[in-house]
Amino acid sequence: MLPASLTRQLTEIVGPDRVTEETAPFAVHGQAPALVITPAAVEDLSRAVAACHAARVPLVPWGGGTRQRWGRPIAAETFVVLRTTGLRSILMHEPDDLTISVEAGMTFAALDAALAGHNQMLPLDPPRPAQSTIGGLLASGADGPRRLAYGTSRDLLIGIRVVEATGRLSKAGGMVVKNVSGFDMMKLYLGSLGTLAIIVSANFKLIPRPRAAASVSCFFEPPERAFRLISALSASQLTPVAVEYREDGVAANIEARIEGLPAAVERHVRDLRRMAEEAGAGAVSLSAEGPVAVEQRWASFNDAPQTVDLAADELVARLSCLPGALETALGDARALAAQAGLPLRVQAHALSGVAYLRLRGGDEGLRAWHAAMLARWPHLVVIGAQPALAAELPVWGAALANLDLMRRIKQEFDPENLLNPGRYVV
Amino acid sequence: MNRTQLIEELRRIVGPTGVIADPVALMTYDADGCVMDTGEPQVVALPTSAEQVSGVVRLAARYGVPIVPRGAGTGLAGGATAIGGGIVVSTARMDRVLEIDARNGRVLCQPGVINWELSQLVKPYGYQFAPDPSSQKACTVGGNIANNAGGPHCLKYGTTSSHVLGVQMVLPDGSIIWTGDGNPAPVGYDLTGVITGSEGTIGLVTAAWLKLTRLPEAVRVVLALFPDIAGASASVSQVIASGFLPAALEIMDRLAIKAVNDMYKLGLPEQAGAALLIEVDGVDDGLDELLADITAVCWRNGALDVRPARTPAEQNQVWAARKNAFGAMGRLAPTYYLVDTVVPRTRLPYTMEQVGRISREYRLPIANVFHAGDGNLHPIILFDRRDRSQNQRALEAATGVMHVSIEQGGVISGEHGIGVEKQDYMTLLFSTDDLAAMAGLHQSFDPYDLFNPGKVFPKGRGCGELAALRKAGVAWSELKSR
Repeated sequence: MLPASLTRQLTEIVGPDRVTEETAPFAVHGQAPALVITPAAVEDLSRAVAACHAARVPLVPWGGGTRQRWGRPIAAETFVVLRTTGLRSILMHEPDDLTISVEAGMTFAALDAALAGHNQMLPLDPPRPAQSTIGGLLASGADGPRRLAYGTSRDLLIGIRVVEATGRLSKAGGMVVKNVSGFDMMKLYLGSLGTLAIIVSANFKLIPRPRAAASVSCFFEPPERAFRLISALSASQLTPVAVEYREDGVAANIEARIEGLPAAVERHVRDLRRMAEEAGAGAVSLSAEGPVAVEQRWASFNDAPQTVDLAADELVARLSCLPGALETALGDARALAAQAGLPLRVQAHALSGVAYLRLRGGDEGLRAWHAAMLARWPHLVVIGAQPALAAELPVWGAALANLDLMRRIKQEFDPENLLNPGRYVV
Repeated sequence: MNRTQLIEELRRIVGPTGVIADPVALMTYDADGCVMDTGEPQVVALPTSAEQVSGVVRLAARYGVPIVPRGAGTGLAGGATAIGGGIVVSTARMDRVLEIDARNGRVLCQPGVINWELSQLVKPYGYQFAPDPSSQKACTVGGNIANNAGGPHCLKYGTTSSHVLGVQMVLPDGSIIWTGDGNPAPVGYDLTGVITGSEGTIGLVTAAWLKLTRLPEAVRVVLALFPDIAGASASVSQVIASGFLPAALEIMDRLAIKAVNDMYKLGLPEQAGAALLIEVDGVDDGLDELLADITAVCWRNGALDVRPARTPAEQNQVWAARKNAFGAMGRLAPTYYLVDTVVPRTRLPYTMEQVGRISREYRLPIANVFHAGDGNLHPIILFDRRDRSQNQRALEAATGVMHVSIEQGGVISGEHGIGVEKQDYMTLLFSTDDLAAMAGLHQSFDPYDLFNPGKVFPKGRGCGELAALRKAGVAWSELKSR
């Protein structure tokens, strides 16, 4: 139960229609918050955080809610969910500078639509773009297939504004594409899962939308054969923007996305066909041509890591390793899944070393697979599981080497442990 | 502090040849590339391993003597200068490349490795280390990491922070940590990210896994000549706005052209008021088309001539002229002050006009050689340091450039860092709360201010003080108004 005085205070700050006690849809690992608030302005959000801080009530920042299955359960009996979706404006967009500043609650789809009109893009490729917010995708540090060419949010974020645990507002970076004025606080907040501060706005450098694009699909059976193409691509001077490996245990598919100048795209399609055939592909096809068709085709690939829709017996894990080790890692995942009798589906950023694994089965089998896999591959993160299993498994993977230092950082930024307590590694 | 005893103990840790204590030799360490601020260290240590660095750090902590990390000393913000004395820890003897992992596109090296030499070494594997500061033939990768160094090709490939996969660091308590090895989705706070660009204030990097970038299949370079800098700046703004993605867009103005012409025999027509160096790279297909589109923008903006550098030798010559332009400044004046700021790219033409105004106002010539594609200015104020009036005017002109940049929505450093040179300008850009957040990060690494104290944060608002304000939940402005 929340102190009645705090509920009253929060209601005064954000307005009665922005407070709800119907909190079931905002449960974290099955635990519902005491209250859900949706401030309509940064200042209100800051005051609400300050009020919770004064009352020592924990907060769970919430964007689109598409990644709330990530992490451990909240280490508190009572908490408030703070939604950022009331903050969804574009604060500044100077198209000719290729930079934009947006509020954290804006959805990725809304941002992409605004940029499309200027023939620009932020190539982060999050799953569920219509729900996923900018703040959420930064806080979770999620990547996408096109990281191969454009990097992740780590490379594209140029400025940030946050509300700290006390309600204090601070910013870092700026609206320029190159900047070493002060510490790079962007890196600190990125991927910290809302445990250090709540992101309220972000500035990005943008990329021009490509003039031409194509997608090439290559089929391989057995899956191992696909890695011949992956090695060849890795050693080549070709520059596909994404190379996704997909596997269902029996066969594999490599889908390569190419963007750029028309002549360069044509050249890539030609070379890819040849290289795939040399690698022993069963079939090679041009699966989409032109920027719009390619974007549509890739929406489902971008969606691979989603955990909004999760079957009752499903586990979703993110495995990361050096790119050269991916073949072995996926071989292990496959063999261990077969051993436990679990159907496995894989999609991996083949040249980057990140794989999303989806398994189905009873808790016993999932537990066994996870333990055996984690013993070999320390960077195995469970991003989707039913609450009981998520509470029980070491969801963040093997123990971290620098936990002491990370605890000191957490202690500096959130000494009362009020932001997403217990959720992340510290 | 007993200096003799300190030196004795240092010799035990790093060996007799690893300590510089001779007063004459110490004079060479009294500044880095920023000669406006000097400070002589008590002693210089040249360790060869992380363990030795750790020993030196523990010793310094015991004596309460600051540690000032130093690479090649090419920095331009005073980051490697022992402003308040202390032990300068040079990485000069930690200069080995430990492992080239071509399969995973990464390299493990010690901090004293020279940037240029690293790129030469990985070339046979088909790779380069993309950050390429103009000082790359001298500067070290450790210094690149400390300053999040840039360079012409960062326009396409990003600054150093996009190319550091993980570092080994000696923390202020002497402990040695590793922050990553190239795993693409590490769990936990991004220590690698916050260490990069922290200017030696939170620890000393003793090894790093760096990301390598595939050499492009083809490269095209052209030099577009303009009657004045306005046309060149406008071209850059329009090239960016049109969504072309060149690998580099660099401008040199009339004074810079004159200096490099004299030195490199480039034969650039001296009636040219500005030269725009354009490079595109990638697969060969389509590059000519891209270059044609870009040069069309130049012609529309009044270019006098567009000269392709066809052979690798010609390309190297053009790039050598660009990268050594700062060295050529010695032909124009006894001293120069290189100011590093950034503006949004649409503001380049106006900002360059203002730089011209500042030059006239302070009666000092200003040459310009800069990363135009990133909006990263480098006005080079030419003066004679021995003339007190010129000295003063140079400082005021630099302040003027900083104010103009901020007014235009820019920042006070794009790639050189804050160090001591710009610490007092930090408050023009950041509120006390912003600085307090940075101080919080700093304190979690270096609570006793052992590493490079008195840098980055504004003078009179040390990070300890800012962190105390933060803990008390009070903003500086509020405190002052009480």
